[in-house]
Amino acid sequence: MGNIGSSSSGGRRRRSHHHHHLQANQVVPPAPPPPPPQPAAPPEAAGNRYVFAAATPYPPPPQYTPPPHYYQYSAYYPPPPPPIPAPLPAPYDHHRAGDLGWVPGGRYPCGPPPTSLMPYVEHQKAVTIRNDVNIKKESLRVEPDEANPGHFLICFTFDATVDGSITVFFFAKEGFDCNLTSTKEKVLEPITVSFKGGLGQKFRQPPGTGIDFSMFEEQELRKEGEMEVYPLAVKAEACPPNDNGLTGENQKLGGLNSQITQAVFEKKENGEYHVKVVKQILWVNGTRYELQEIYGIGNSVDGEFDGNDPGKECVICLSEPRDTTVLPCRHMCMCSECAKVLRFQTNRCPICRQPVERLLEIKVDDGASMVQQYGGRHLEMTNNAPTADVEHKPEGQEIPAI
Amino acid sequence: MANSNLPRRIIKETQRLLSEPAPGISASPSEDNMRYFNVMILGPTQSPYEGGVFKLELFLPEEYPMAAPKVRFLTKIYHPNIDKLGRICLDILKDKWSPALQIRTVLLSIQALLSAPNPDDPLSDNIAKHWKTNEAEAVETAKEWTRLYASGA
Repeated sequence: MGNIGSSSSGGRRRRSHHHHHLQANQVVPPAPPPPPPQPAAPPEAAGNRYVFAAATPYPPPPQYTPPPHYYQYSAYYPPPPPPIPAPLPAPYDHHRAGDLGWVPGGRYPCGPPPTSLMPYVEHQKAVTIRNDVNIKKESLRVEPDEANPGHFLICFTFDATVDGSITVFFFAKEGFDCNLTSTKEKVLEPITVSFKGGLGQKFRQPPGTGIDFSMFEEQELRKEGEMEVYPLAVKAEACPPNDNGLTGENQKLGGLNSQITQAVFEKKENGEYHVKVVKQILWVNGTRYELQEIYGIGNSVDGEFDGNDPGKECVICLSEPRDTTVLPCRHMCMCSECAKVLRFQTNRCPICRQPVERLLEIKVDDGASMVQQYGGRHLEMTNNAPTADVEHKPEGQEIPAI
Repeated sequence: MANSNLPRRIIKETQRLLSEPAPGISASPSEDNMRYFNVMILGPTQSPYEGGVFKLELFLPEEYPMAAPKVRFLTKIYHPNIDKLGRICLDILKDKWSPALQIRTVLLSIQALLSAPNPDDPLSDNIAKHWKTNEAEAVETAKEWTRLYASGA
């Protein structure tokens, strides 16, 4: 048969307009990086993979006690109900002999339906966590330092709602509580620059403090092998809004809120280096979050939804705005009502057909202003160890334009 | 067949199909059953079906969009993935269906299938065999059938 829908004929997926990558954040516990090498989470652990700070619709468990280091809401989960047999539609199997015709509204000749039990899919609501400083990761790049030939300066654009400081680390290692240290401090010192609050600010590293790529091995710059040291890490720290006791509180909770952008340098064909962001981390009130992209969220939060925009509507009803993301593939493609219906029909993502583990509802109303300012970053929390948690999907996964 | 209670999705899809038809494809709902569409697909250029006008019928079952539409060629066509009854062997109409697909994408896929016959996964064994043993001759037959049955006259 034809395989228009198979992944190999990906014309549908390669279209890059309608391509909006924004990010959601995942919490990783403040475990001491670098994590010891460990195998990926065993399948049975996957059920407890994402822990959301979702208060509704689940009542707080009576036995809930906050663990000492980080918030863990796993006790919010009700026990999964028994699997529900799916009302499978009759397949229309052309290979089978039989009368051809279908009568509108009638039943079709069909083979035995594939018996499968739908796994329980949790439907969670997301909370939004404020991110005071955000480095726009697409903007991170190097520019030649005119005053120092051969040296390059780190540049990017960022948004900040408060004052703070930015520190550029080369060959940085992450320690406890998102503290960064440079492993080549003698050659390249970390550079700290303070900033005032404001949106769309440009950052350029001071001349003379840049990196000379010729001093380092290409593998080193690409971060091959050694997993814990990133050739480039930029830490954006928010100062507390004022000193009226807030500093003390922040200290208690693990220091200043910050965002860390970890990146590698990749050599292009023309011999120039460019920056590739690998990971972004948020450190908010003593909790470490890892930012992950949600595909299609930009469509639903940018501007008004007029009910008739193919880029913003739920792919199933074509009527309501998208507000539900499929996990783990992170395709935001449905409204919550259709997502509820879908659970009982299939366990595959409508966009990529990967199995659905969770549905995450992201309401953008509450934080609408923040969403627009900061590009729609939302948080979800997981209590996974970093090694098992990090999922970097290849760029280019996107909601197909249909 | 009652046309009341027609899901908004079907209404929207119908409106968009009529207002922005895909090139080489037309689909219009039947007056007495809004789930039943009369479809016409033009044979793609550079294919043995070029110049042909192929009629199909498409029906949206009750479960749609959770289940795929039912589509069938009404015009006789010589193609390894379409049998003599007009039934189409196409993965997205079966196990690869996704509710994110629509009438438009289904018809575009069928149009693409005309440009790219796949004799390795045939519905019509004889035609597929013909295609694999003597493709040039099979293509000639397909052109001949297009002239005979899909001339649009």
